[in-house]
Amino acid sequence: MNLRALIYGLGGVGLAILLGWLGHHFGSTTHIRRKIGQEPLAKASCFQCHFVSTKRLPWARPRPHHDSPAGLALSPDGKRIYVALDDRDEVAEADVASLKVLRRARVAGGPFGLALNPEGSSLFVACKNGDRLAVLETAGLTETGSLGVGLGPASVAFCRTAKGDRLVVANSISDDLSILSVSPLAELTRPAAGREPFAVTAMPDGSRVFVANRLVGLETLRTGPAAEITVVDPGTTRVVRRDTLDSAHLSEGASVVPARSWVLVPLVKVRNQVPITQVANGWVMSSGLAVTDLKSGEVIQMPLDEANDYFSDPSAVAVDPGARRAFVASGGSDVVSVVDLERLAKWLGRASVAEKQEAIYDLALSSEYVIGRIPTKRNPRQVVVSGDGSKIFVAERLEDTVLVADARTLQPLGRIVLGDGGQSDPIRRGERVFTSSAYTFQHQFSCRSCHPDGHVDGLSYDFDGDGIGDNLLDNRSLQGVAGTEPFKWNGKNPTLEIQCGPRFARVLMRTEPFPAAQLKDLTTFIQSLPPPRIARHAGDKLTQSEERGRAIFFATKTPDGKEIPLARRCVTCHPPPLYTVKLPFNVGTKGPFDSSAAFDAPHLLGIADSAPYLHDGRAQTLEELWTIYNTNDMHGVSSYMNKIQLNDLIDYLKTL
Amino acid sequence: MNPGITLPALVAALVATLAPGYTLRAAPVADVPFPVIERFENLGMKEGMPSHKVHCVLTASDGKLWVGTYKGILVREDGKFRKIGTENGLSHPMVMCMAEDTRNGDMWIGTMRGLNRYSAGRITTYTQTSCGMPNNVVYGVDVDGATVWVATAAGLGEFNLKTGGWSIYDHNNTVMHEPWVYAVKSAKDRVFVGVWGGGILEYDPASKVFKEHRDPDRDFHFDLFPDDGPVADITSWIAWEDGIMWQGTYFGLSRYDGSRWRTWQEKKSPLIGNFVNFVWAHRRVAWVGTDRGLSVTDGNTWVNYRTNEKGEGVVEIARPGKPVESRGMETHLANDFVLGIWADDHEAWLATSDGLSHAIFSESQKPAATAAR
Repeated sequence: MNLRALIYGLGGVGLAILLGWLGHHFGSTTHIRRKIGQEPLAKASCFQCHFVSTKRLPWARPRPHHDSPAGLALSPDGKRIYVALDDRDEVAEADVASLKVLRRARVAGGPFGLALNPEGSSLFVACKNGDRLAVLETAGLTETGSLGVGLGPASVAFCRTAKGDRLVVANSISDDLSILSVSPLAELTRPAAGREPFAVTAMPDGSRVFVANRLVGLETLRTGPAAEITVVDPGTTRVVRRDTLDSAHLSEGASVVPARSWVLVPLVKVRNQVPITQVANGWVMSSGLAVTDLKSGEVIQMPLDEANDYFSDPSAVAVDPGARRAFVASGGSDVVSVVDLERLAKWLGRASVAEKQEAIYDLALSSEYVIGRIPTKRNPRQVVVSGDGSKIFVAERLEDTVLVADARTLQPLGRIVLGDGGQSDPIRRGERVFTSSAYTFQHQFSCRSCHPDGHVDGLSYDFDGDGIGDNLLDNRSLQGVAGTEPFKWNGKNPTLEIQCGPRFARVLMRTEPFPAAQLKDLTTFIQSLPPPRIARHAGDKLTQSEERGRAIFFATKTPDGKEIPLARRCVTCHPPPLYTVKLPFNVGTKGPFDSSAAFDAPHLLGIADSAPYLHDGRAQTLEELWTIYNTNDMHGVSSYMNKIQLNDLIDYLKTL
Repeated sequence: MNPGITLPALVAALVATLAPGYTLRAAPVADVPFPVIERFENLGMKEGMPSHKVHCVLTASDGKLWVGTYKGILVREDGKFRKIGTENGLSHPMVMCMAEDTRNGDMWIGTMRGLNRYSAGRITTYTQTSCGMPNNVVYGVDVDGATVWVATAAGLGEFNLKTGGWSIYDHNNTVMHEPWVYAVKSAKDRVFVGVWGGGILEYDPASKVFKEHRDPDRDFHFDLFPDDGPVADITSWIAWEDGIMWQGTYFGLSRYDGSRWRTWQEKKSPLIGNFVNFVWAHRRVAWVGTDRGLSVTDGNTWVNYRTNEKGEGVVEIARPGKPVESRGMETHLANDFVLGIWADDHEAWLATSDGLSHAIFSESQKPAATAAR
């Protein structure tokens, strides 16, 4: 082949590629302009709308399952420990002396939280994915009863009251509590909790149950985000008090200390409205322990971190029977912090009111009462103390093990091995990266600190990459994001690798980026996350209201026959199956501090559980998108709708 | 007209009222089949009410007294009143109605701008823009299991506490004559809805069917054929207990037991006034708040409380077939314009346009349980 032919050949191929690209680009742009009724505000391709199938997405594919320990429960005699394995749909029983797993029972629906009756004969299991409470007889480790509860039951507490035995179940998705009678197993009432109730603990006399809620109340977002500790009288089935944790959230554990009349709740102190530049000053996120004094009603937030080293994602707390020590599992730091309660009580006894109020900001203070840090394997998420106070048991969730340590010497005694740790599974490896604070400045937080379970923390943040004090951005869920690229509200990150890569490290982590291998695992994990769960189950028929709402969603004309412009139809920007066209749009929501009017059209899968809404989280409910923030019908033509029609539309959106 | 009340009885009552020294202090009241009020203890602005107007009152299942006023709520606990207002998160100061979810103690509060859920100190507000509620003006609220019903100026709202979903019923999707809903009351397996100019709707949640009860003669002022249906279409309030529904209208009072209607208007019966603001049902007795005072009746015997021209309290007892017995009281209602009532076997509370009255019962009364069917 002569040189000229080679040049011509390569040139021809190059020209063909160029023409193909130009044709695709301009053809797609023209086609999309025609289809959406306006100029696309970003680069567009055929893949905005075509060749999109949820069946091919990573989260829809089968994935390996692991023996990840969730809830723990010790038998009254201390000889057996029960471990909830939600990813396996099993509950395991292990022998405390030999550290061997004795039996496993299949419990469908993601068994997550456990509680035993005082006799140890019945094990109550909150099945987070199945929206039910299962009852197992421990003698045969067989399921003998089941009752539907609210959505996402994450934990359960048993209470013996004068009015009979009661169970209090924290329904993390439906934001309520199921208060049940045990015999017969029946729901007595379902009072409202805070947002995402996650952990419950009961007074030994059954007089009170305390519920830790993960997210701040929507109503507190603008005035000062605050999560709630819900206090319930299980006998009367009433909520008797709601304590607030100011500027704090992500409480996933709770433990009563009857001897001191305390309730302990771990928390993340969050200052989401300061610019992210303040990560470098340690002002954005820190870990703490809320101490509720049941006599005075005071709730005091105490720091768990040290000035230059943080112990992120405090997930669980347990107290020894003598009320001498509390053990706090920090899931992001692979540590159990040991708090000397006597020292803590002394400090609280001598501190002024002002000192108590400021305590959480003084990271040097933890040295007064944190007397040890027990290293664990990956992602300690649950902790219990033996009845004699001699041992602690720590669920190392992403290691498939339960650590057993001496509660006095703080030395490890061994591990109950449930699985192989899943190191060969990139999704599991990615979850380890996702939940680890090893990559952030001073280990202040992990990805999970803002995205619990890959979802939202319900807050808006001031990222400084585009200026300080402006462009407040709502935290978007990572659940169901696979296939919805580009990412970010401005739609400028084409892949998760870029989203979570070096730029992210500079803007947020303030340290070195994730190593390449970990970044790949991380993005694999994120893409494996299915959309948020909703109340409707696959296969359920739409109700009449939902059907009417569906017709509105796909409507091309208003009821009086007027054509709805292409750019103002719901389905134009939110086409199925992902309900996003993956392009930015101006929907009239630009605020005074926003530098751009165009925002990425988010996917709508599981949108019912993703409040607040819009790019800056200004809409607390789906209704507000149209009743308050739909300027000139720019976010879909809705001005013709009456309230019944709007309710229908929202009912339909909640099924996606 | 109530056939038990004769013209001579009415004349006797009139004579007794106008005659000097009419009081019959020693007359026995033990034969009245429901409690008779012996005296009133009144609370006005001097005693801490935040406004003259008190719109609604109820005693919660934990014994706390809740008072809804023109300027917020007062809660009496341990003998002391505590105010809850917009400063605490209440969506609007003008409180129109309240209902308790007795399963968990949550109080649902209707205001001129939105519905509020008071739960252990936390107030959650529901408005027509933040949720699927039909309208911000909430005239009536009731709780039935996991359902909260709201009567609003633009239809009836059904809030499902388990799903968080709202359904709206109005003139677009029901037989409702117009969307201005004044009252709602759940009644076991039924829901009664008071529509301002549209009579009463009876809703069956199981079949999702609305049945309309309208005044057959369609005349506001005259009840041409008594007992043939609702006394009038202008429904101001609905009460229900023990199988009996009571309709308050601005033109009289109706009673419905599921098959038969009875109606009462002033002058034709002992009903103290046609302008009925509110009806409270306890057992089978209606406590009727009007613009002229309070009537209490089981449908046969009536006891009226009002204030005479001298500012003195008067009680009138109309027994079936007997002359009206009238006597003075040492105390009187805070105001005869009665807007809200709560009563049980032991006491009653009356919200009026100028203060709150606590009604102390005569010791000699039989409980209302013996009231005739």
